[in-house]
Amino acid sequence: MAGPLASIASRMDRLYEFDREPVSPDKLQSGARFAGLFAGEHVAATEFVIGAFFVLHGVTAKDLFVGLLSGNLLAVFSWTFICAPIAVRTRLTLYWYLRKIAGPGLTIIYNLANAILYCILAGAMIAVSATAVGLAFRIKTPSLDAVFPASITWVLLTVVIGALFTTLAILGFEKLSRFAEVCSPWIFIVFVAGGLAVLPRLGVRADLGNFWEIARTKIWNGIPAAGQDKFGLWQVMFFAWFCNLAMHVGLSDMAILRYARKWTYGLYTAFGMYPGHMLAWICSGIMVAAVGREMNPGLMAYEALGLAGVAGLLLAGWTTANPTLYRAGLALQTITPGWPRWKVTLAAGAITSVLSCFPVFFVKLLDYVAIYGLVLMPIGAIVFAEHWLFPRLKIEQYSAEKRGWTFNWPALGVWAGTLTVCFLMPIHLYFRWLPGYFLALSSYVILSLSRKK
Amino acid sequence: MASLAGCLAAPVLHFLGKLSSDATKLLFLAASAGWFVFATFWFRRK
Repeated sequence: MAGPLASIASRMDRLYEFDREPVSPDKLQSGARFAGLFAGEHVAATEFVIGAFFVLHGVTAKDLFVGLLSGNLLAVFSWTFICAPIAVRTRLTLYWYLRKIAGPGLTIIYNLANAILYCILAGAMIAVSATAVGLAFRIKTPSLDAVFPASITWVLLTVVIGALFTTLAILGFEKLSRFAEVCSPWIFIVFVAGGLAVLPRLGVRADLGNFWEIARTKIWNGIPAAGQDKFGLWQVMFFAWFCNLAMHVGLSDMAILRYARKWTYGLYTAFGMYPGHMLAWICSGIMVAAVGREMNPGLMAYEALGLAGVAGLLLAGWTTANPTLYRAGLALQTITPGWPRWKVTLAAGAITSVLSCFPVFFVKLLDYVAIYGLVLMPIGAIVFAEHWLFPRLKIEQYSAEKRGWTFNWPALGVWAGTLTVCFLMPIHLYFRWLPGYFLALSSYVILSLSRKK
Repeated sequence: MASLAGCLAAPVLHFLGKLSSDATKLLFLAASAGWFVFATFWFRRK
């Protein structure tokens, strides 16, 4: 392996050294632990935005409920049938398993891509938190078609919040993660309480007798906001399915599920999906309807629950951004020789704060989530093919490890090629990942078969 | 858990018409403060 690349790979390996070995049987966790873990992880600041956007995209009430029920079920099944079996058999993180399959070179690229995507997501969360703080200073929330910041005050606000989040991450990620555990159940309650609190304002009676009528006519009334595409059942279902594409089909959650006693523990993801990606989205939809469909999470939270609502939004943004900053910093450490952790976190935080100034990542969050999953999906297909299909087709597994390859060039080609084809597909962005997955799967197998010959 | 229950009780009472909007927000704020105080102690002891 060439000098600089070898050095980067070696640093990357040292970073993840603590989980290089497969998880031993004595470290396996109970199902209850997974239920709690997934429940805490999937109620975040993003939910304030996503649920509200479904209203603005003119989803009808029936399409919303059916789409979320079915889409989240597909997500749970993806974790259970795609991610969990590989995680339980290998007991490895995706990092170490991918390294065997794709070589250290491609793993570096994957890590860096992940770091950039994490930074953008953290930036969007800073912008969401900024809408909470901006209320106090009457700073206007960006419009739905905003790409660049419209005012210096917005820039200052996002930079200050970004600096605060970064400082907290530098001072003590581990300690603050403990505090995030305290926040988690309360943030979930903020969503439910917020939705309930504004129902009377929308005209829902105490006996809930007219709830469905109000849902159909005042909340999810099927009328998109100006400039927003109309969404139907399929967009909702697919969004709920691919919202965590990188985690289930993309296999990133091997890091969690490798501690599962059995592959069926993937079903515990339902504890995250239904409270977080169904109930919280429904509640934020109700809250945005109550403020006249204005995409302003700060206003939504304040009108529903006052100061506590605003605090909830701020904390939700922080608890989402904090681990994201940490992971981005981890990934960036591979290319920053000898930098201490605080410096790397500062660099990640600075990049994130700059990105947060650009409202496009916040107002186009749904599209960004789609792109995030799409970019990383082909890697999941490659690993799936190597794990399940190669033995059945008598193709050598883990050639990169066995033959000392830095890059598994077919894998890299499949990754790039799949993304190119997905970019050119003449279908809605939300639907492209599925044919892309089968394209990646089949092309990787075909390329590997031709190598075998 | 009592604090979390208090947090939920506030909007439920408001929904049932028993509490004004301002009182709901105040009760939610108080219950939230209780949650953070007690939960932080509990997590520390864990």
